[in-house]
Amino acid sequence: MDVLFIHQAFPAQFGRLALELARRYGWRCRFLVESLSACPTPSRSMLETLEIHQVPVDPPRPRGGLPWPQVFGGWLEQCSSYRSAFDRLGLRSDLVVAHGGQGAPIAFLREAVSAPIVNYCEYYFPTRFADLTYRVDLPPAEVAPFYPRCINAPTLIALQNADAGYSPTRFQRDSFPERYHPKIEVHFDGIDTELYRPQPAGELILPDGRRIGPGERVVTFVARGLESMRGFDLFVAVASRIARERSDVVFVCAGSEITYYGWDNHHTGGASSFRSWAMERLDAPADRFAFLGHIEPEALAAVLSRSDLHLFPTVPFVPSWSFFNAMACARVVIGAEVAPVLEVIDPGRTGLVAPLFDTDRWAELALEVLARPSEFEPIGRAAADLIRERYSLDACVPDLRDYFERVASGRPPDS
Amino acid sequence: MAQDPLCLLCVEPRFPGRLGAVADWLVRTRGYRCWFYCNGVGPRDHWPPSTGRGLEVVRFEVGGVARERSVPWTRSLERGLCYAYGAWEVLEARRPGPIDVVLGRSHGLGSTLFVPAFAPRAPIVNLFDYYYLPRSYDLADDLAHRLPPDYVRWRQSANAMDLLDLENGVLPWTTSEWQRGLFPPEYRDDFFVQHDGVDLRRFRGEPRRAGSRSRAIAGRSVPEGALVVSFIAPEPDRLRGFDRFLSLSNRLIRERADVICVVLGGGPVRRGLDVEHFGADFGTLALRDDPPADPARLWMLGAVSPETVAELLRTTDLHVYPSRPFVPSRSLFEAMAAGAPVLAWDAEPVREVLDDGRTGRITPADDPERAALLALDLLADADTRQAIGEGAAAVSRERFDRDRCLSRLAGLLDDLAKRSYSPAIGGR
Repeated sequence: MDVLFIHQAFPAQFGRLALELARRYGWRCRFLVESLSACPTPSRSMLETLEIHQVPVDPPRPRGGLPWPQVFGGWLEQCSSYRSAFDRLGLRSDLVVAHGGQGAPIAFLREAVSAPIVNYCEYYFPTRFADLTYRVDLPPAEVAPFYPRCINAPTLIALQNADAGYSPTRFQRDSFPERYHPKIEVHFDGIDTELYRPQPAGELILPDGRRIGPGERVVTFVARGLESMRGFDLFVAVASRIARERSDVVFVCAGSEITYYGWDNHHTGGASSFRSWAMERLDAPADRFAFLGHIEPEALAAVLSRSDLHLFPTVPFVPSWSFFNAMACARVVIGAEVAPVLEVIDPGRTGLVAPLFDTDRWAELALEVLARPSEFEPIGRAAADLIRERYSLDACVPDLRDYFERVASGRPPDS
Repeated sequence: MAQDPLCLLCVEPRFPGRLGAVADWLVRTRGYRCWFYCNGVGPRDHWPPSTGRGLEVVRFEVGGVARERSVPWTRSLERGLCYAYGAWEVLEARRPGPIDVVLGRSHGLGSTLFVPAFAPRAPIVNLFDYYYLPRSYDLADDLAHRLPPDYVRWRQSANAMDLLDLENGVLPWTTSEWQRGLFPPEYRDDFFVQHDGVDLRRFRGEPRRAGSRSRAIAGRSVPEGALVVSFIAPEPDRLRGFDRFLSLSNRLIRERADVICVVLGGGPVRRGLDVEHFGADFGTLALRDDPPADPARLWMLGAVSPETVAELLRTTDLHVYPSRPFVPSRSLFEAMAAGAPVLAWDAEPVREVLDDGRTGRITPADDPERAALLALDLLADADTRQAIGEGAAAVSRERFDRDRCLSRLAGLLDDLAKRSYSPAIGGR
């Protein structure tokens, strides 16, 4: 089987999956991408095993992204660049697997590709009270009524140009208009349970040299960006409350200061970042926090292994993979009581949940976990079992292999 | 409860556009109150009678790339978003209300996309014209071997606004089954298919007596005994087959000394679909390539008022509809309503309207000789022309009578308003 993966960045969603398909089944996996990610960086084995072709992008996109009315035009220009690169390289394959959102353009490949095109259906933005507009506790952004009504244009065009689609979770699939559901299956892409696994808690040395010894408790927060959609400010509020009650807790945050989703800069009143704004606004004890920035998977695994409690106060949106990673490490996770979290966590059995905005409840639950860790250990163990059984690479890669083979051969889903 | 009569918000880039006549009918016959939001307005002699008397025209400005006459193909959606935003901005500033129901048409530009940000509960019926296929229909078939790559890409992406509208909670409306069938299968079942109809009263006149009446068109007298062959399009462009008409007219003028060919419409090509002639005066170019056999008998009357259109259609002896496959022109329906015999070039949208031999004649699209012979036969046979014209008029009364067509639409609007209405609409 010869698969061409298309994405804006590498490895992103497809790198590890392709490596597994190549290793386990001898598939030839090639990539058409714009850039290699800085974090996580592609592993050496990925670079040795997979063929990566870079698409020159002209013109380069401005820092901070395009204004919302121009997003579609930027995407079309990207589509043209991909089509030119595709034609130039002559990348024939049995199957094309492409990210179907703004990040990987397939619109103009339909006519050039004879193989079926599979769309990775990451997310469809609803018009209100979800993702970008869920934080009703923050001042509304001026663009909120407009952006979600037009930002799905690339996704819709991509869906029209694909033969099939898949989403990693049911929540993500359900975010799409119902009319497209028959075209979209749910296949999770796999957590590396060799890397993220239950390990004895040892000493954690933070990048700034700080050592976290066995007597200290660690509460973790991980997101691509420390932003409102991932509830960073809510985390800070909960952390501040915990800090007042316990002096032995360190709050370790991994993620950049950049806001990737939404309009945090609209309501931070000139603060350098949402992180600074949240810390200052909530008068958080800065000395109890450790900010790691973006970290490589190995470092993240070490942090999560040492975590006593992982908080995931997200709005309803694509679940962070760190949420799965924390569970894989047998950590006790408190997640927001929202659909993408409830799809994974069985409250009280594989994790805990609390209403997103009820920071008192979050703090109460967190203090309970920190006070009586042994009572909650079974939850962490059950979480790790769940991830191993349903969300690990071993569980997911064969499933995706079958799916890809089925689509490549043109067989219907139930055959 | 919904207000009685209903308060209607119409949004279309230009007034009266396509929805102006619909709004006018709803105001005059159903007592609706209507705000018509548009960016531009057409000449006053095109405005419907209720303008200013229940139908209030409100203009909105547009910013950004929408101010430019044309934009690179990649910025088409951005342009449309500027229109949608412009409409929202003026809605928000003027806050008309309460709004019971919204009727919109993006026509490739701004649309009702952001109306829900102002009136989230008002049901929206959106008129959808045309879903582009990358290499089929309109001019794509003709240009098959010389389609510029960027043009194909534009066609592949030009449906973005329609897709966004379709996902914006609207009830999609289109005017023919053929148009509905162009949309992706995921959306087809949602469509309300209903032609918006023709005002038959405008086309009633004395019964046709071939070549025997004293006739005048736009003040020009038609010589007694002459046969009038007509062609109508907003601009005599390639999409509507002006080149085909010119070739036919030359043949007819050469073959018959009693034929006068009349062309209504003028100006440069405004549709981006004709990538080779966009912005150019296709009529002039076509006349240069295929000069009139007898300039005195080819009357190029330019853009005219709706009354002149009706005048021509009431008197024409043969109406020629040589359009490439595209949304059927209003003039086709008006010709039928006027009882004019129509000769049309074969295409799926035409076959949905005309029954060859009974309500019109259909000629193969790629056979100019056959078209000429059919036209000459018709011109030589007044009885057949009469019979076909009467068949067309009968179909028009049955299927395309505005009173009947828009009654169905009004029923839909009433029903939507009743079903969706709960406390006052207007504002967030």
